Amino acid sequence: MTESLQFSVEAAPDFPLLRVHLAQGQQVLAEPSAMATMDPSIDLKSGMKGGLGKSLGRMFGGESFIVNTFTAQRGAGEVALAAGGLGDVIHYTLRGAGGLMLQRGAFLAQSTGVEVSASWQGAKGFFSGQGLVMLKATGAGDLFFTAYGAILPMEVDGTLLVDTGYIVAFEDTLSYRITTVPGSRPGAAGKLKSFFFGGEGLVCELSGRGRVWVQTRQVAAFLGWVNPFRPVKKG
Amino acid sequence: MQIELLCQPASAVARLTLDAGEAVTCEIGAMIAMSPQITVTTTGRSRGGKGGLLAGVKRMFSGENWFLNHFQAGQAGAQLVIGPTMLGDILHHRLRGGSLIVQGSSWLASSGSIELDTSFPGLGKAIFSGEAVFWLKCTGEGDLLLNSFGAIYPVDVDGEYVVDTGHIVAFEDTLTWSVGKAAPSLLGSLLGGEGLVCRFSGRGRLWCQSHNPPAFGAALGPLLRPRSA
Repeated sequence: MTESLQFSVEAAPDFPLLRVHLAQGQQVLAEPSAMATMDPSIDLKSGMKGGLGKSLGRMFGGESFIVNTFTAQRGAGEVALAAGGLGDVIHYTLRGAGGLMLQRGAFLAQSTGVEVSASWQGAKGFFSGQGLVMLKATGAGDLFFTAYGAILPMEVDGTLLVDTGYIVAFEDTLSYRITTVPGSRPGAAGKLKSFFFGGEGLVCELSGRGRVWVQTRQVAAFLGWVNPFRPVKKG
Repeated sequence: MQIELLCQPASAVARLTLDAGEAVTCEIGAMIAMSPQITVTTTGRSRGGKGGLLAGVKRMFSGENWFLNHFQAGQAGAQLVIGPTMLGDILHHRLRGGSLIVQGSSWLASSGSIELDTSFPGLGKAIFSGEAVFWLKCTGEGDLLLNSFGAIYPVDVDGEYVVDTGHIVAFEDTLTWSVGKAAPSLLGSLLGGEGLVCRFSGRGRLWCQSHNPPAFGAALGPLLRPRSA
């Protein structure tokens, strides 16, 4: 089934609910526990998608081993999907050529023509804070991704520096590398200082032409804020 | 400097477009994305004294550190996107001379032309439990960006007004203030959950936030696993 999904996103960016309207026989795939409501004409099947290898890859990419498939088996119907956390949902159309790189855990849902697989990032991934494995979406169809906070699209034509923890997705026409922030003091001392005290030490440098999506809040920063309020272990 | 506020109110960020040579000072960790024509330098300051980086390092261990990032555009049109940690709104305030007193955690950024006085006496940290609270005196002419936990709203004070300390974002220094208990007895204040309030008097504008960060932290903390000291 290649026709694109009919959908609406309500209450974005803070509390988005993605409503997918399936025609008879049409399918949508979503991460486990994303389903909020669905019509009774829709069947849910949980399983590994693309076999064991692909499923393991997704797992290393911060996603679930399992993908849920919703099929409008007994007539047209609607599935409403919501992400686990508070945050925006973005729709992206894949057109065969080119792919979309996704942050770990950003996947929410897709149509059948899309393939989401693991993409090994190595040292770059390690230093970027994005993890050794990112997700890569290819194929043709609809993709929905999510992140904490709102998601802001930014066009890159040339170079853009993004704090490593804020990248949600970017088109693979962009290349990226990890670099330090441009400190005005020449030499290693200036760089080192920004590295240790800046909180903005390492950034992703995206270059080329394409679109990147950044999230406006970070879960890690919030957890860091909450941490001092935890009770202190005795002894 | 051109300032756009995006994704308001709950996940607000500010997109700044700078002129060549223009500088903006931001809270550490506020930068989300920027043009490569911007350079960054970090300085350390603390409540209760000035001092360079080394002084900042020393105070880091005493929990009194406060570092700032200075972003300077090397070329006109350079962009910088910044945002706070907590969910909530951003307020853009144009300071035209005079001073604004800002709760430390509500300050997000200010133009390079604004002087930040971190040695301002403020409320004193000892009376607060939880996070180290300090106030910041911003003086001069330029743009100020303040963030709130939840919504932000202005109150024009003419006479007297009482605000819980956790709900204060900023106020004009034409107001005089004193910090005290909400109820006549300390026990009553604590039992009522209204620990300390700020009593403002005079004429001036005050900005409040709908939610109280220390109260939220205190509500979440006990639900989490204990941490090692």
